[in-house]
Amino acid sequence: MKVKEMTVKDFIKIMINLVVIYIAGGAILVVVYAKTSPVIFVGDKEEKEAALKKMIPEADKVEELGTWEPHHKHAGYYIARKGGEDMGYIVETYGKGYSSYIHILVALDKNLIVQKIDILAHAETPGLGDEIERDSFKNQFVGKTLEHIKLVKVETEEDIQAITGVTISSRAVTDDAVRNGVKMLKERLEVKG
Amino acid sequence: MKPTHSNWQIFKNGIFTENIIFRMAISLCPSIAVTTKLKNGLLMGIAVWFVHVMVGLTVSTLRKFIHPRIRIPIFMLIISLWVTVINLVMAAFARDVYKEIGLYLQLIVAFASLLARSEVFASKNKVTHSFMDGMGMGIGFTIALVIISFFRELIGKGSIWGWEVVTTKPLLISILPAGGFFAVGLLMALFNWMDVRFGKAETHH
Repeated sequence: MKVKEMTVKDFIKIMINLVVIYIAGGAILVVVYAKTSPVIFVGDKEEKEAALKKMIPEADKVEELGTWEPHHKHAGYYIARKGGEDMGYIVETYGKGYSSYIHILVALDKNLIVQKIDILAHAETPGLGDEIERDSFKNQFVGKTLEHIKLVKVETEEDIQAITGVTISSRAVTDDAVRNGVKMLKERLEVKG
Repeated sequence: MKPTHSNWQIFKNGIFTENIIFRMAISLCPSIAVTTKLKNGLLMGIAVWFVHVMVGLTVSTLRKFIHPRIRIPIFMLIISLWVTVINLVMAAFARDVYKEIGLYLQLIVAFASLLARSEVFASKNKVTHSFMDGMGMGIGFTIALVIISFFRELIGKGSIWGWEVVTTKPLLISILPAGGFFAVGLLMALFNWMDVRFGKAETHH
């Protein structure tokens, strides 16, 4: 292609080019966004409610107690009740992993013993970091108190054992997300008395 | 390429002669990142297929309107438009998959093959040809990803589409990024060998 001097006509044509593409592209995006964003929003909300419910299935009511900000992200902590009686707590927390923030829910009973953890979202290395989603890893948290939520790299029953080759993600879940979440809950409950 | 080719030849060109992965060896980064599972590979392929067809159509429709001086920025705008569209659609209607490959869906914007086909083909050919080119490129890419992810999942996880088929301890390297390069390299060698051995007619059309 021969490079020619730019004339006023060229400038005007380029301007029209860009304006038309911006407007037409913008219009298409507006339509697609209008159609998809309600679906995404409803999906996100339902997913969160379902996830909270799944943490303590026996509870008939889950109420938000307050919010906190792990890694400057908005997260909440909740109390689960059944027929007016406190059953336990659910903490939403984030851990800084290898390539993403790992979004986790932790369910605890009234004595702050971990009942269950669930990993809601992460973008760790596919096929490697996503091993943290395995039940064999997550089930290690069941029955643990704050002192024992710590990652070790040897075989253990008392603490949490790291997954081979997935140390950073395992640490993010254990030492960062879950431990800080439980610690925060404990402190705030003590303050409240 | 001569502009006198038939639709069918253009279509085949994308799948065999100029296959994005095995022939041109571009867009390898996301291909290696998502091909640890057959399901992810297939859906990523379909997303790229859609974007390829839509970008081909758009660029070709506007080819006389676009000023040559700003063609690259315009191509980028068109590419990012369609990537955003598929991104939103998948986020809304394929939540599970989107959670796993969402990050790489957004990276389709940076696909070399999209810019290359816009510049080399769609901006110089009529709409029907560009459509066939997009179809060929997209399907060729999808097939390549499916083959790669099939072998990587089988060797690295011992499963196919999540179903366990091999019970022995899988070879972890296959699902690590390095294993992705090995898989692509070996398959590329296989395709080249098959081409030399059987496919004379395919290469010299």
